[in-house]
Amino acid sequence: MNIFCLGINHRTAPIEIREKFWYSSDEIRAFLPVLKQHVAQECVLISTCNRTELYYLPQEQSVYDGSLWQMLASQKNASNVVREENFYSLSSLNAVKHLFNVASGIDSMVLGDVQILGQTKEAFTIAQQSRCTGIFLHRLFQTAFHVGKRVKTETEISEGAVSISYAAAELASKIFEDLSRHTALLIGAGETGKLTAKHLVSRNVKKLIIANRTRQRAEELSAQLGGLVIEFEDMAQQLQHVDIAISSVESHNYILSTHDLHRIMKLRGNKPLFIIDLGVPRNIDPSANAIDNVFLHDIDALNHIVDNNLAHRKAEIPKVQHIVMDELIQFNNWYNSLQVTPTIQELRERFESIRENELKKHRHHFPLETQSELDTLTKRIINKILHTPMVNLRNGTGELEEDETRRKVHIIRTLFGLDKKKTE
Amino acid sequence: MSSIFIVDMRFFITLLQILLPLCYFATIWAYAKGFFRNERVAEVIKRPLLGLTLLLHTIYIVARTLEYFHPPITSVFELFSLIAFTIGLAYVYIELRTKITSTGYFILMLPFFFQLFSSMFTKEIPEIPEILRSHLLGFHVTSALLGYAAITISAVYGFLYLMLYHDIKSSQFGVIYKRLPNLEMLERMSFTATVFGFILLTIAIIVGLIWLPRITEDISFTDPKLFGTIVIWLIYASGLTAKRLGGWQGRRMMVLSVFGFTLTIFSMTIINMFFSEFHRFY
Repeated sequence: MNIFCLGINHRTAPIEIREKFWYSSDEIRAFLPVLKQHVAQECVLISTCNRTELYYLPQEQSVYDGSLWQMLASQKNASNVVREENFYSLSSLNAVKHLFNVASGIDSMVLGDVQILGQTKEAFTIAQQSRCTGIFLHRLFQTAFHVGKRVKTETEISEGAVSISYAAAELASKIFEDLSRHTALLIGAGETGKLTAKHLVSRNVKKLIIANRTRQRAEELSAQLGGLVIEFEDMAQQLQHVDIAISSVESHNYILSTHDLHRIMKLRGNKPLFIIDLGVPRNIDPSANAIDNVFLHDIDALNHIVDNNLAHRKAEIPKVQHIVMDELIQFNNWYNSLQVTPTIQELRERFESIRENELKKHRHHFPLETQSELDTLTKRIINKILHTPMVNLRNGTGELEEDETRRKVHIIRTLFGLDKKKTE
Repeated sequence: MSSIFIVDMRFFITLLQILLPLCYFATIWAYAKGFFRNERVAEVIKRPLLGLTLLLHTIYIVARTLEYFHPPITSVFELFSLIAFTIGLAYVYIELRTKITSTGYFILMLPFFFQLFSSMFTKEIPEIPEILRSHLLGFHVTSALLGYAAITISAVYGFLYLMLYHDIKSSQFGVIYKRLPNLEMLERMSFTATVFGFILLTIAIIVGLIWLPRITEDISFTDPKLFGTIVIWLIYASGLTAKRLGGWQGRRMMVLSVFGFTLTIFSMTIINMFFSEFHRFY
């Protein structure tokens, strides 16, 4: 299997190098034809913040071209920062398995990352539009997408939040049915608080209100996230009207006591109030969690969710590996089916079965004494029809024409539905 | 010939009587596997299993009605079977409507127990009193059954709410947290079922009060069954009023729902069987 993968990722290169190797969609579009002209028959370039990988079939039957990484580096003007050790090169089934691992999310920096599948699809679409894909990469990437889909439906590798901010937003969704009917209050402008608010906004929270001791910072945040800014002193009063509060201020004393929250809950008619206390030291008296319909969670609780989810995702890895192996075997079987001899054999069998079926149906129209001649005649017709294509197919099995032959075999298998027959 | 048919029909009914609890058990087993283990096979078979169980239950009810010439409402254990069936049907409606399958294990547990007790203790009653053939009784029983099914479902959602509420409050983020729908939805489902249940039970009580004096003169309004029913009705009425006027919501309402259901079951079983005079006609 003459497929290669050359790449760098978060395991082989630090961010300073990876960022130099990040290719935008336009850059990929410009670069792929160059690769096709000089290096590859078929190629797809995947580039995300954590990996840049080139999957390609070399133009000649060859092993890994050792200078290709330099071509990638010079294309991004990164020859002076990157070394050969930052790259990995995989070939044949190892390259295929690696792509399946990537598509499934188990090779990602964040285990079970779901974005990578979309990014892989996008990379393949660009390669297709640039006419850089053929039957091999088409089949390979379609199988990889199938792997990603199976992993998503058959395992829980992507389940549960694995960042504190996401865990907080997820927790809000476990309390409230529809966030677009609820208002959130961001108290303070810490980074995790901001990210949590961002996740809530992306889940269509009805309104975001921001209260910060420095009003200017609150307004900057408001410009980014789209929220209403209020004075920090009005924060407690606002709690009557909001359903979610995220607090991340630096304070040595509680900014809200249990007594304050008792009073607030009365004023808000005991409607549920979800408070995320991201402050260290904590901003809100933890005993307020005992109040009916107050859900108060600090950073430790959120860390606990994240740790649980990560452990759960890790426990799902064997299931994912099983799917990857399953699809790898099927892909390998498909590849092996592109051999000339078995295809000729299957094609003969297909024609023979058609002949036999038709004879069976219509044999009674012919006199008994001509049956033997009928058999011979129909066999001869089939042999004549198949003779020329078979000879042409056999003649194309020289080593240099191997890929061309596989293409022909693939076309024949598709036209006559030989793979379909197998799966049936 | 006809006696063979009768024997066969009775054998068939007995067979279904044994099969039904097993079918409900298989269904909740599949729902449990789906809920706790997220097993693919269980996820695939749970709906067909539920459909098959309800189909068999329909056949059982029809066969029983035809064979014994009366609907299965003559004893509390026959009623249990109808309640199991009604809860099962109501659950199918909820599942199709909300697309949430994760609460099935908890809801279907009740039909299983109702049918199990029904199958274990249902007996053939040799003679059916004439009063059990009244149209008003049919109306009374139908609304009461639907009402009981609704408040049962309301209580299960209330119970699930309380479990999830507890887990979120105490930062226990296990399978309950992961699989159940959110608190607001559980509360909404419980409340909707309570409203249905309350309306239907009100109708059942009114029809019962109209019908009862027509069939007996010995009725006493201090009868424990009637007293229990009025207390239950008052609890639900005050809960709904507290929500409407006092803004009650969340945990309190769910506790009330579970409490109301517990009292209802107590009234249906213990009071009905051992203390009440008028609600037993056989």
